[in-house]
Amino acid sequence: MNSLRIARAAAKATGAVRTLQRRGYADVAPDKIRLSLALPHQAIYKSQDVVQVNLPAESGEMGILAQHVPSIEQLKPGLVEIIEEAGGSKQFFLSGGFATVQPGSVLSINAVEGFPLEDFSPENVRNQITEAQKIAGGSGSAHDIAEAQVELEVLESLQAALK
Amino acid sequence: MSAAWKASGITYNRYLAIAARVVRRSLKDDKRLAAERRGEMDLRFARWDNGKQGENKNLAEANEKAFAEHAKADGGA
Repeated sequence: MNSLRIARAAAKATGAVRTLQRRGYADVAPDKIRLSLALPHQAIYKSQDVVQVNLPAESGEMGILAQHVPSIEQLKPGLVEIIEEAGGSKQFFLSGGFATVQPGSVLSINAVEGFPLEDFSPENVRNQITEAQKIAGGSGSAHDIAEAQVELEVLESLQAALK
Repeated sequence: MSAAWKASGITYNRYLAIAARVVRRSLKDDKRLAAERRGEMDLRFARWDNGKQGENKNLAEANEKAFAEHAKADGGA
């Protein structure tokens, strides 16, 4: 009886050691950040470990590394840069959305549209800029002018990113 | 400092829709055609009075009209 109790205690002790050493499924490596970049119709990154993410936040450009303080940032239409584990970096132009830094190096970015730069046509951008400038400077309704100004803001950011 | 679009009465939802539309239109032509289909909305609604269905209306057009009237009322006040 006594020997059984000792065996059980020993098993309990090794179990405790094992849980201390084990890295759980949800833990992120100490120098990585787990990124999800999701659009309504597609997930570009799905819980993938990356090294750094640079965001065009409304409060300014910011770089997110591992162990960042939890925060919520509204994104401007602009370029998101992702530095991957292998050392290469990828760039996507997002139309605006939100980035949420969660505790434990987890980052979620939500946007309506996002594409790599090579998918854009500089000519289409230029044509739209001249059109939006015409409306913004014209004598349309205040509503139309405001919408054209939003378009201009996005297009100018896109044109700067394409250069 | 508040954004200019907010000051002119555009909602955040509308702002996102405009930004997304512009991004879709800026794509190379093959991708643009596939992407622009995502921006289309064709919801219709009808008002029912005394058990009878009224006229079928396009939601996007009705919204646009309501917004223009709202802006005009704001400007007059």
